[in-house]
Amino acid sequence: MPQFFLNKRLILLLVSIIFLVALIGFSLKDRKELTWSEQFIKDTTGFVQLLFHKPAQLVAGFFENVQDIKNTYKENKLLKERLEEYVMLEAEVQTLKKENEELRAILDKKESLRDFIPIEATVIGRNPERWQETVIVNKGEQQGVKKDMAVITPSGLIGKVQHASQFTSTVQLLSSVDQKNLISAYVQGKAGSVFGLIEGYDEKRKALLLKRIPFDAKIEKKQLVMTAGLGGVFPKGLPIGEVEEVVPDEYGLTKMAYVKPAANFYDVDEVIIVKRKIDAVQEEEAK
Amino acid sequence: MKKLFLPFLAILFFVSESLLVDLWPKNDWYQHYLFAPRFLFIFVIFVTVYVTQAHGMIYGFILGMLYDVVYTEVLGVYMFSFTLMAYVMAKAMKLFHNHLAVTCFLSMVAIVVLELYVYGIQLLIGKTDMPFDQFYPHRLLPTLLINAIFLLLFSYPLKQRLLKIERYEREE
Repeated sequence: MPQFFLNKRLILLLVSIIFLVALIGFSLKDRKELTWSEQFIKDTTGFVQLLFHKPAQLVAGFFENVQDIKNTYKENKLLKERLEEYVMLEAEVQTLKKENEELRAILDKKESLRDFIPIEATVIGRNPERWQETVIVNKGEQQGVKKDMAVITPSGLIGKVQHASQFTSTVQLLSSVDQKNLISAYVQGKAGSVFGLIEGYDEKRKALLLKRIPFDAKIEKKQLVMTAGLGGVFPKGLPIGEVEEVVPDEYGLTKMAYVKPAANFYDVDEVIIVKRKIDAVQEEEAK
Repeated sequence: MKKLFLPFLAILFFVSESLLVDLWPKNDWYQHYLFAPRFLFIFVIFVTVYVTQAHGMIYGFILGMLYDVVYTEVLGVYMFSFTLMAYVMAKAMKLFHNHLAVTCFLSMVAIVVLELYVYGIQLLIGKTDMPFDQFYPHRLLPTLLINAIFLLLFSYPLKQRLLKIERYEREE
């Protein structure tokens, strides 16, 4: 037995396993912020990644453009048809906007949950391990990014900021499995909006799960799902997707909807990090 | 300048994984099969075999730590496994004839072990709920395929480079 304990390597192995478990435990703790050493490493590697990533993206972009040219004719035809609809919509939006502003002026309510400040960011890395779908972007706390902020592309919501360091931040895409990844959302219905929570992603159907919908709520296919802006730092009205199918929940007390995401989670190069205007105002007041 | 070549190579491998995953066309194949490039791991193994064991373990430790901090945000997982696997590889190579094909084969075995180990940890901490019968065809096999292609293309030039570095280190 004493010989067993004298084996230096074995002891070293055991000690490092204990150390490993401790480290994993430490990193799984619900951390608000990364330690300064982690932030330093992330920012330094972020700079190196940016150096390599930009040229590579340019080259890849060129090949993608060649592909795109092939599809141009078809797309052009479709877009021309859409353009007429667009003009009408545009006029309607203008009048509505003006009306909204006037009504707001009457109510003396300046900031709404809808207003946000966009922070544009470029993807400089992606988790190659692929257990968690995360991407690294080149904007951090110095540019005003904070943990849990919403991240969008022009077509819709794609995820939220997992951790922010000084000059880079990690974005967790909506497709990753995470029990804590809750987003309050609502379905735009004819009779009024129905609230629910986005809770996870079905990989086989490639759809988000909108759970905890009241059982008597009337939801139809193709209705739009938006962020509700309740709790957290998400603004209201970011498009998430559209309802694909509604099924009873596993306990039968509530309903669950499969939501087809509006944005492509996988194909992201440029993203917009969304900072709520209401929060920015509050921050300034605090100063 | 020659002294900086090995760290430069390490950085190149570190960035290459993320680049490959990011620039890969995002088609159905990409979404369906979760292949993971393990080029950095292969690099650590090759350094262990062709430079020295000490180099391999130190590079394994540092690169593993970087990988943990930058990509996965679960500390310790790769730091521990890269170092340990470098040690085991050095011991294993003593049993076999030192030939490129043997190194490549052992690297593939090591990748399988690494994938299983990481899968186990992910299950343990509840970050995934993938059952094993899905893990095997959707993750393990595509991962092996990607890395086998990489080994076919780059194992020989990598070996030559590393041997040059080793000769230079010995002369000093």
